[in-house]
Amino acid sequence: MVKKERQRYILFKIIKEKEIIFTQQEILKSIWNSIWRYFGMKEAINVGLWLLELNFEEKYGIVRCSHTTKEKIISALSLIKEINRKRIILSPIKTSGTISKIQKIKNLIIY
Amino acid sequence: MIRSVIRAIWECRIKANFEDFKEIKKKLEFCEKLNIKNLILEPINNLKEIPFDLKNKIERETDIKVFFRINLKPINIHNFKEMIKKYNNFPDLLSIETPNKEIQILAAKDSRIDIISYSDPNIIKTLTPGVISLIKQNKSFIEFSLASIMINNKAYQSKNFRNLYRFLQLAMKLKVQYIISGNFDELYDFRNPRALISICYSLLGIPLVEAKKVFKVSPLTLLNRVQKRLNKKIIESGVKLIKDNER
Repeated sequence: MVKKERQRYILFKIIKEKEIIFTQQEILKSIWNSIWRYFGMKEAINVGLWLLELNFEEKYGIVRCSHTTKEKIISALSLIKEINRKRIILSPIKTSGTISKIQKIKNLIIY
Repeated sequence: MIRSVIRAIWECRIKANFEDFKEIKKKLEFCEKLNIKNLILEPINNLKEIPFDLKNKIERETDIKVFFRINLKPINIHNFKEMIKKYNNFPDLLSIETPNKEIQILAAKDSRIDIISYSDPNIIKTLTPGVISLIKQNKSFIEFSLASIMINNKAYQSKNFRNLYRFLQLAMKLKVQYIISGNFDELYDFRNPRALISICYSLLGIPLVEAKKVFKVSPLTLLNRVQKRLNKKIIESGVKLIKDNER
């Protein structure tokens, strides 16, 4: 029997130097590059990655992935060191199974 | 204090220059940004003992629960024996980091040493089952560090991953107590220990339960070891003086 794939939402914090600006494309590309670099094609096809929110002003982002690859996405996020030779940290804060819960957590932590 | 941090995750090694309080403050603030709750701070400038005032000053500066450790880097056996003389009933954690196998064996037998550190990619290769067995008998800890995986060069990075994988699997197989620390030098290499758990699970083949245990329980066991050492009623592991005035 095929197990139903569930989703996980990962809230992460963006830590960067003040004056440096990144685009959504750059962040997404670097996450995919990190997945490719550390886990390869075999895992990349399973991750089901989706960037839901990215707020540079409040310095947070939310990605969605499959429940089986949650730990791999957290690893890939935390192994990103720089984008276009500009230093950045994508530090995972919290994981949840529902978008409403992650929004609540986000409101509690960020604001 | 230890009870209040029972469920939190630990960063077991952050090096700082203890002569420069601004640097310590900067590092602590960065750790706060990363939601690190507990950390063990280590001086880099050959301090033999951390002054009590400085400890208090650091603790007042931050909400993070800060503990301290001293790392010894002896050159030869004579040097090691000279160094260790000064650390009877030492109130903080004491670790040793050396590529010399003879010193490692001596340190593994010595109850004053809490951690034998294999943080450096060159030192990790000197870890042998014999040393592990001695560390296990003495109930001290091995330390591995993830700092070496944060380099940009892919060839060196994969080599470091491979070495870490090999020796972590060896430590797990021989059931020795070990801790995994970040030990990052640069501020932007610092990571939340929860992220390090994921790296250990997904890239270093440590089961998730085991990885969580290493980051949550092992540092507490380590600190309890120091407390037991300071408790004069505990003569050795498993032997405790119940009534002090009876002869």
